[in-house]
Amino acid sequence: MKNYRFILLCVVLIVAQVFLVNFFSLSRWVVISLLPAIILMLPLKMGHISSMLLAFLIGFVVDFFGNGMLGLTSIALVPVALSRFFVYGMVFGDEMSSRADVISISRLGVLRITLASLLMCGLYFLVYVWVDSAGTVPFWPAFLRFFLSVLVGTPVSVLVSKLLRPE
Amino acid sequence: MARGGKVFAFFSTVAVFILLEIAAVSLLKRSSTLQDIWINRFSHNVMAATWGGITRIGTYFSLREQNDILAGRNYELYKELQRYKEMEKAVQAMAKLDSVNFKSRFKFVPAEITAMGTNSRHNYIIIDKGSEDGVIPQSAIITPNGVVGMVYSVDRHYSYGLTLLNERVSVSARIGRNGMVAPLTWDGTGTDHAILKDIPMHLEVPVGDTVLTSGISNVYPADIPLGVTQGSRLIDGSVNVVDVKLFVDFKALRYVIVAENPDREFIRKMEE
Repeated sequence: MKNYRFILLCVVLIVAQVFLVNFFSLSRWVVISLLPAIILMLPLKMGHISSMLLAFLIGFVVDFFGNGMLGLTSIALVPVALSRFFVYGMVFGDEMSSRADVISISRLGVLRITLASLLMCGLYFLVYVWVDSAGTVPFWPAFLRFFLSVLVGTPVSVLVSKLLRPE
Repeated sequence: MARGGKVFAFFSTVAVFILLEIAAVSLLKRSSTLQDIWINRFSHNVMAATWGGITRIGTYFSLREQNDILAGRNYELYKELQRYKEMEKAVQAMAKLDSVNFKSRFKFVPAEITAMGTNSRHNYIIIDKGSEDGVIPQSAIITPNGVVGMVYSVDRHYSYGLTLLNERVSVSARIGRNGMVAPLTWDGTGTDHAILKDIPMHLEVPVGDTVLTSGISNVYPADIPLGVTQGSRLIDGSVNVVDVKLFVDFKALRYVIVAENPDREFIRKMEE
């Protein structure tokens, strides 16, 4: 039952992401993405390869239905999926990841979830902004875009995490 | 087994990651021209760096061979440099002789020794200048350090001569600039040694005096240093013989100067 709810919420969030991309572009300096949080909150029993395949698929769907460039989101999201367990080990400890338990704010605390979201968003936006710039944007404007996106994206990810795993 | 499984899982994860990234990049290349150009440029840079790295590694491992080649070239250049130095010395000495004493009397032609003998009692020399270079028989063969010999016969491009290390060759010499004149000949005892003959008994010859060409001969220019006196000895109870240590190192000779007296024929006719 919990899994169905999680899957349903993921689909809703992906649709929301498509809407965000198409109709709610805040500024050229800020990119809002709900996707790192979805990858962060995936069940621990889902391995590296499954996570990466799912990340690729989500990125493809968002790019396909959005007005973005096809492949851009996948390029940024697959490394996030690859580094998922590394972030778990670093922020939550090895014991947590080896117990194959679910991740939630109520169990791990806001601070640790925020830190994990920060790392995931950082990696995601780093790749996203770099590839999106395609060598045409100077360093500091690109860095400002990355910084602002992480600044906005991290609390959004914490909220999405709370929504996905309220227990 | 568990360890092997982990290794397999690691490599399969990396492989899937690379495949997914390649797929995403391929999609991006097709959907955006700007990203297509950027990715192409990036891939070209990566390829250039890779090939450059491979080339550098190959170059590093071929350094030993390059070093051998460079050492060989270095040796050849060293030999050539020595040759030019010797030639320069010969030309400078020739210019000095030409400008100071013999400008009006002798003509000089620099030459390289083609062959020379030092092991018999009648030693010879062959040089690479002949009649087409202005060399004529009975010209002097000299160096800045002394007399080498005399041209005996000439070909168009080569000349054959007798060296001072030949009993048939005699050079008119003077002991010191104002000393007595006597013939200098080789006594066959060594390549760096000759004798001054027919020195009167009553004349004392100090050891260490410089022996020079006298200039009385029509063949050899005057005041060319020949060697230093080493002492005298009585021969046949009537004349002294002075031992002379020669300046010329015959075994190390490579370049010489041919000194030709254009007035020699005129002087000979006057003598007749």
